[in-house]
Amino acid sequence: MRNFLEKAPCAAPWLALAGGLALAACQWLIFVYAPVESTMGPPQKIFYLHLPLAWWGLISFFVVFLSGIAYIYSRKPVWDALSGAAAEVGLVLAVLAVLTGSIWARHSWGLWWTWDARLTTALVMCFVYAGYLIVRGLDMQPGRKALVCAVVGIVAFLDVPLVFLSARLWSYIHPPSISLEPEMKLTVAACTGAFALLWAGLTLFRFKLALDAQRLDQSAMERLMRRG
Amino acid sequence: MLSAALTIARKDLTLTLGRGSGLVQALLLGLLLVFVFSLSLQPGQRMTPQAAAAVFWMASAFCQVLIFSTLYAHEEVNGQRQGLVLAPAPVQSIWLGKALAGIGMLAAAQALFIPAVIVFLGQNVSALWPLGLGILAIADIGIVAAGSLLGALSQGQSAKESLLSIVLFPLLIPLFLGGIRIGTAVFSGALAEGAQSWFGIALAFDAIFVAAALALFPAVYNAEE
Amino acid sequence: MNSYEWIMYAGIAVWAGLGLYIFTLARRQSALSRRIAQMTRLADEEAAER
Repeated sequence: MRNFLEKAPCAAPWLALAGGLALAACQWLIFVYAPVESTMGPPQKIFYLHLPLAWWGLISFFVVFLSGIAYIYSRKPVWDALSGAAAEVGLVLAVLAVLTGSIWARHSWGLWWTWDARLTTALVMCFVYAGYLIVRGLDMQPGRKALVCAVVGIVAFLDVPLVFLSARLWSYIHPPSISLEPEMKLTVAACTGAFALLWAGLTLFRFKLALDAQRLDQSAMERLMRRG
Repeated sequence: MLSAALTIARKDLTLTLGRGSGLVQALLLGLLLVFVFSLSLQPGQRMTPQAAAAVFWMASAFCQVLIFSTLYAHEEVNGQRQGLVLAPAPVQSIWLGKALAGIGMLAAAQALFIPAVIVFLGQNVSALWPLGLGILAIADIGIVAAGSLLGALSQGQSAKESLLSIVLFPLLIPLFLGGIRIGTAVFSGALAEGAQSWFGIALAFDAIFVAAALALFPAVYNAEE
Repeated sequence: MNSYEWIMYAGIAVWAGLGLYIFTLARRQSALSRRIAQMTRLADEEAAER
């Protein structure tokens, strides 16, 4: 598993390229193939960006959760590197999901913010993972920092369903349910798949940067110990 | 584990309350928050029940950050943390002991925040007050379970209070939402639909965070400085 | 605001955000490459001394 993880980042450029091309193809699906929704009109097409961003943000946080558990179990730095990479990419995608959701809400309900359960959950996740990245940036002994980050990552993900349920119970505004026609479903699936490739490319690239930084720090430490 | 936890809780409460300044700081911060929010009202104006409930829970949240910073700071001098970790009791008893001490101090502070909210924010207590006490107890358990786990991780950092707030507050949102909804019912006398669900969510939160703390606390709290 | 302008602003937000993130990744990559070059140079100098 560790060998696979250390070799996987080589696929990053190809995944990113495939993702970019797939997203380009998705523009045709979004603007030509998918019909205009009758209630909300053309701005409903923001949904084709908003949903994949939210999904892949959540999946990133799940990767942080799993790699946190793997780190606590094995104490191998490769899991910490993966955790940090997934958290960063997840935060970027979650922030963009909140932004697009807010733009959509402004058009649909005239408000920038609606306390919709999914938007609220995404915003809370942004705050939590921003806090996680702040902990990552602290000056701490590396092993301890990795442990602390793993714990925060695990606890943060456990909180996701609770935040979603409580926000759903709280909010009075329920977005009108959109019934998706088959063309729309295909477009959503295609966009989610295209974002999957982009997400994988970005995460693996960031993961590679983290692994390289770890190796450099290790070499510098060994060099210091040889000289000292 | 329970007797070790009770011993640690007794030790921490004696140290904190004996010095006087420990709980007083947290209390004053909460009371100041309530007072400062009351400045947003015109003379004679009353705050809405929902806003008042939100102010109460914000005061509790900031108070508990200071409480856990104080509780974990006791072992940061003279290698006392090492002694505690080496003691013949499960490490989780430290978490439980700190949580028990924390809930005692938080409850004591909230006992003062409630009259402050009633007086400064112009609220009345309706016949639904037993529900309010119920959600208070359940939410406080969740708050101290999470606070005790995450309080340990912020130790040794120069900005430990702000770090703890940044990490902890978003996680406590489900409890705050439930506390505010039921608190609104207590102050207004009108119970909105879904009250049982809030208790369910708060209990689920408590269960998840107690389990997570028991599993993860040994990783967070060790003898390394 | 015209309907399609909303989609445009959402698209601008997404692609600008992703572009900014990729830019920060590229800068970190450059900094790492510089460190790697420096370490390689130091290692070569040590090997030459021995």
